[in-house]
Parts: sequence; structure tokens; C-alpha cells
Amino acid sequence: MFALAMRSVRHRPGRFLATLLSAFLGAAITMAFNSLHDTAARPGVDGVSRETLSLVAGVVGGYGTLLVFFAVASTLTVTVRQRAAEIELLRRSGATPGQTGRMVVGEAAAVALAGTVLAALPGMLGGRLLLRLFKDTGQVADSVAYSFGPVALVAGAGTTVLAATGAALLAVRRATRRRGGPRGRARTRLAYAALAVGGAGACSTFAFPSDAEALMAPAASGAILLSIGFALLAPRLLAGLLGRTRPRGASGWLAVRTLPRRADEVSGVLIPLIVFAGTAMATLYMQAVENDAVAASGAVKTVEAKNLETINLVVVGIVVAFSCVMLINSLYAATVHRRREFGRQRLAGATPGQVLGAVGVEGLLMTVTGVLLGTVAGLAGLLPYTFVRTDSLRPGQGPAIWLGVVTVAALATLGTGAVTARRVLRTPAVEAVAAAV
Amino acid sequence: MFRRSAARSGTSRTNGREPAGEALRLVGVGRTYGSDESAVTALDGVTLGLARGTFTAVMGPSGSGKSTLLQCAAGLDRPDRGIVMVDGTELSGNGEAALTRWRRERIGFVFQQYNLLPTLTVEQNTVLPLKLAGRRVDRRRTRETLAAVGLGDRLGHLPDQLSGGQRQRVAIARALVTEPRVVFADEPTGALDTRSAREVLELLRDAVRVHGRTVVMVTHDPVAASYADQVVFLADGRLAGTLHAPSVEAVAERLVHLGDEAAHEAHEAHRRDVRGGGPRTGV
Repeated sequence: MFALAMRSVRHRPGRFLATLLSAFLGAAITMAFNSLHDTAARPGVDGVSRETLSLVAGVVGGYGTLLVFFAVASTLTVTVRQRAAEIELLRRSGATPGQTGRMVVGEAAAVALAGTVLAALPGMLGGRLLLRLFKDTGQVADSVAYSFGPVALVAGAGTTVLAATGAALLAVRRATRRRGGPRGRARTRLAYAALAVGGAGACSTFAFPSDAEALMAPAASGAILLSIGFALLAPRLLAGLLGRTRPRGASGWLAVRTLPRRADEVSGVLIPLIVFAGTAMATLYMQAVENDAVAASGAVKTVEAKNLETINLVVVGIVVAFSCVMLINSLYAATVHRRREFGRQRLAGATPGQVLGAVGVEGLLMTVTGVLLGTVAGLAGLLPYTFVRTDSLRPGQGPAIWLGVVTVAALATLGTGAVTARRVLRTPAVEAVAAAV
Repeated sequence: MFRRSAARSGTSRTNGREPAGEALRLVGVGRTYGSDESAVTALDGVTLGLARGTFTAVMGPSGSGKSTLLQCAAGLDRPDRGIVMVDGTELSGNGEAALTRWRRERIGFVFQQYNLLPTLTVEQNTVLPLKLAGRRVDRRRTRETLAAVGLGDRLGHLPDQLSGGQRQRVAIARALVTEPRVVFADEPTGALDTRSAREVLELLRDAVRVHGRTVVMVTHDPVAASYADQVVFLADGRLAGTLHAPSVEAVAERLVHLGDEAAHEAHEAHRRDVRGGGPRTGV
């Protein structure tokens, strides 16, 4: 079965691209941040430098790794589900669920490993760049030499491979189980677990002293977990709301009637969307609060302090950019897979414009849901942090960051959907419905 | 009694004028795929007229152009040459949107693979063409149509919860609900067991006999073809004869000899073209 897995990866490289991309980016980011641990552990590094490096690697590397884990897992879930037809074919050809499972999980592991290997060099360069930033801003002594060692490697490979194989295992187990069984119970449990742990994480911020350097870690991780919990519950929430609406126009009707029954795919897109919105809001606002707090503490805004702001924003920006790329990646994979569905709509009398219109309405609904729930998750992380850091619940920040995040989320969701759907629609409808899955 | 003037089809002597009462008219329709050396002529000047209220089966060996004929006649594909008219209106307009609008006013489809939307219920699937065309949805009529195909108690089911035969009956209800001028069925029984196939064929025949619809069905199954009023044979992209009031045996026998007839037909067509100096591209 592993041989079959290798063969299927080799012959259909295109279908593994989405997975490979997420594994590659995820591993690169994880390794870049975690290599700072390796660097800090080198002999001869002075205490201040070591502390700075460990802090960044621990805090940002920590929630960054969490984010990577779920991003890779969610991409894997989307791509494995899309292979339901192939899995069914294998089943009919006499493959036991165990064999099919080994094949899919084997593929996932192979792709994740390939992504990690490819990411080693960029991860190393990224880590080196981060270290340079710290040196340039005077937070790490110039004498510290960069090191890429076991922590980076284990964290990078471990996170991606574990996330990929774990998600593949769960997804393929669902696919090989016969239909009709109780559905979604595990998902609900997972959602509540994520919400509980995330909520606890965000609240645990209160247990920290206001000047704890790792204060951001529980709040950011909490926001990420809450986002994931919301994303798992969102499709059902959305279905309940949409069931009551009576939209006018064919595209709206089609979108509103279709979306609730695509719960699995929708949550595959909502996970990165809500996580992006939640993480971006939480981390960017926290950084802004932190910057203000430092400024308010009486310290004159030196060049050094400004540099510190910049570097923190860069670090947070990397994580936010990653979650945005994941959003685009998942949405692209999910939309490409709708070729046949679009073909059927067209054969039933939908013009390309109507199909695109329906995709647009779906995108809009997902954006609104994602931004709303992302905001809730982000606030849940941000408010405790703000309270502990500044003794006030009002972050004292304008809506600029929020508006920026919303704009990026809307552009990414609507733009990716429209561009991908337009490309998919280039195939004539008759071919689209006949195409092999 | 449902055959009327359909007897003219296949003779290709009419020269494009559209006799009254024709639901579908093709004049010199040709379609070539690919270009230059690798070009394949799938349809080679097919001229055909089908009267309203008739049930026609189109038969021929694989690669004879059946599917291309259906796609060109139904406005799913644009022919390279020739004219397609449905109910006296010529297929016109460029681009998919224009073709779609032309189609949804006139054509209903039934496909081998049903092509129902898996995310919509039986009732929603049935009214989908009306919704897309911006037409009013008459719930009572929709339910009557679904009841007529034996699915009155399955309105809220999803296609996944239905058998193949039931899905195809939803597809038939969906094709009929817009009251199209012509219903095109592409191997509608190809994926069904014999009993479901019989039910589907009887529904198509009733659509013609009871409701006066015009049905064109591509099939390779002589049993399915025997439900039609007439069978039009196709070979190498050309018409190869017609059979009225077909019996299963007659259809099967005709199919066996189709090769010879195709050769003969090609010869005849060639002579006609040489004599008439008609336009002849491709090949």
C-alpha cells in the first residue's frame, strides 16, 4: 500500500500541490522561529541575548506552531475529502479500510516530509534574517552566531507530519466508513474542546503578572483555538440562519440553498478564514497595545523602541500572512473541486454569470461569518491581555486594524473564489460533468 | 398517429425551409473537432426535421456522432456549419451566456448521469431551471409534476437518498417543468436496471403521448429505442436511415447492417453534393 501511495503521489503531482504548499510554508515558518531556540542554546551566548531569543521562539514560535498545525490539518482534510470517489473505487476493488487508510496516510506523510525537506533552506534563511533583525535592533549581541539544529528540525518536521497524518487519518476514516452512520458528533466534541481550551487559555492570561514577557502567548493561542472551535460550529449556525431567508434572484437562491449542505467544505474554508481574522486581530491589536503600553510607561520613544515595534510587527506579520495564504490555498482547492457541480448548474440553465454570482454570494456569506466569529475569537484573546497589561478593558486603539483585517479577508475570500471559479468555468459544461473526479 | 410528417426526416431533400409543426430542424449541420491534420469530423452535414409531439430515438455505433448531434441540436455546442432551429427559432448568439438563455427557453435535458445538484432537494432540483430563468415557480404544478413521476412523497429528499431510477425520474420532472419545446435525453437508461429503465421510458413516452412534448433520445439500446415513434440511425457523422414504429428486433437488425448503409449513404451524399455543388467543407 505504501508503494501505491508513492505511485499516486508521483503520477498526480497537481492534486498534492495544495498540501505540499501548506506543509512547505508551515514547516518553513516553524523552523525559522524554532531555530532561534537552537541559536540560544549555543555555548557562549550571553544571558540577555539568550532570553530574547528564547522568548520570541517560545511565544511566537509557540502559537505559530499551533497555527501551522491546524492550517496543515485543515488543508489535508479538504484534499482527502475530495478523493471520496477514488476511495470508493478502491473499496470496490477490494481494498480494506485499513489498506486505504494506510495509502492516504502514507501519501500525507510523504508530502509533508517533502514539504519539510524543501522548507529546510528557506526556514534556515528566515531564521538567519530574524536573528539579523534582532542584532540590528540591538536586542541580541552581534557575536551570536546563527544555528540551525535539532529543535528546528524536530519542530518543523514534527508539526507538519503530525498534522498531516493526523488529519488524513481522521478524514479517511470518515470516507471509508459506510454512509448513514451518525455524523458530526466527533466534530462537535472537537469544537467544544477547542472552545473550552481556547477560553481557558485566554482567561489564563489573568494569572500572569502585567509585565510578564510571555503574556501574549496564552492570549494568542487562546484566540487561535477559539477560532477553530467557532469554525467547526459555524456551518451549522449558518445553515440555521440561512434556512429562514428567502433571497431574491437565482444566484442568491442557489447560494443560500447550497451553502448549508456543503457544511464540510464550508468549514474547510471557514477554519482558515476565522483563524486568519481572529489571529490577525488578536496579535496585531496586542502588539499595538504593547507598543502603547511601552510608550505610556514613560520611556522616551527612542530609535531602539521604534525598532522594537517594527520587529514585533514583522514577526506577527509573518504569522498573519501565513494564515492568509492558507485561506487562499484552501479556498482555491475547494473551488477547483466544484467543477462538476458548476457544470450541472450550467446544464440546468445557469449562465456563467449566475454561477459566478452564486459563488460571490457564498463568498460574502462566508466572509461575514468569518469576520464576525473571528472578531469574537480575537476579542476573547485581546481583552484579557489588554486588561492585564493596562488595567483597562478598552484597548484604546482605533478600528483601523480591524478594517484592514476585514478588507484583506474579504478580498482574499471573494477574489480567490471569483478568479478560481472563472477558471473552472472555462471547461465546457458537458465536459465538466463528465470529467473524472 | 403520433408520427405525422416526421417521415421526411433523413431524406435530406428539404432545403432549409421550415415546414409548419416542426419542433426541431437541422439543416446541413456539421461539426469538426481539432484542427488541420488531426481534425475529426463528428457530424457531416446532417439535415433532419422532427415534428412536434414525436418521440425519436437516435442510434448508431460508438463514434457515429450521436452525442455531437444531440449537443449541437440542443445548443450545448455550436455547430461549425449549418442551421439549428427549435420551434422555428434559429440557434443564435455567441458565448455561453447567450446559448444558455436560448436553451433554457426551449430545451429540457435528461442525462445518463442524472446531473442533479447533490445539495438541493428533489423539489429544489425540479424548480432550479425555473429559478435560473427568473420564471415564476408554481409550487402546486411542481408537486403535480413530481407526483406524476411517482415522487410525490420524496419532495424533501436529497438525490443521495434516492435510487438511480428515482433520480432519473426527478431529472425528467425537472426537464418537463419548464414546458420545453424539445426534451433531449442522452442515454437516459444507460445506468439503470431494466425495471427502472422501463419506468423512465414510459414516462418519456407519456410526455409525448399525453402532454404533446417532443422528445429526442440518444441510445444504444434497441429496447429503449423501441419505445420511440421512430428511430434515426447515424453512422460516421451522417444520417443512415430511419425506422418507423420500431420493434426491438428490427432496430437490432438495422444496427447490424449499419456499416453497409453508412457506406452507401456516404456514396449517395457524395453524388448529391457533386451534382448540386453544395457547400462541403471538412473531411
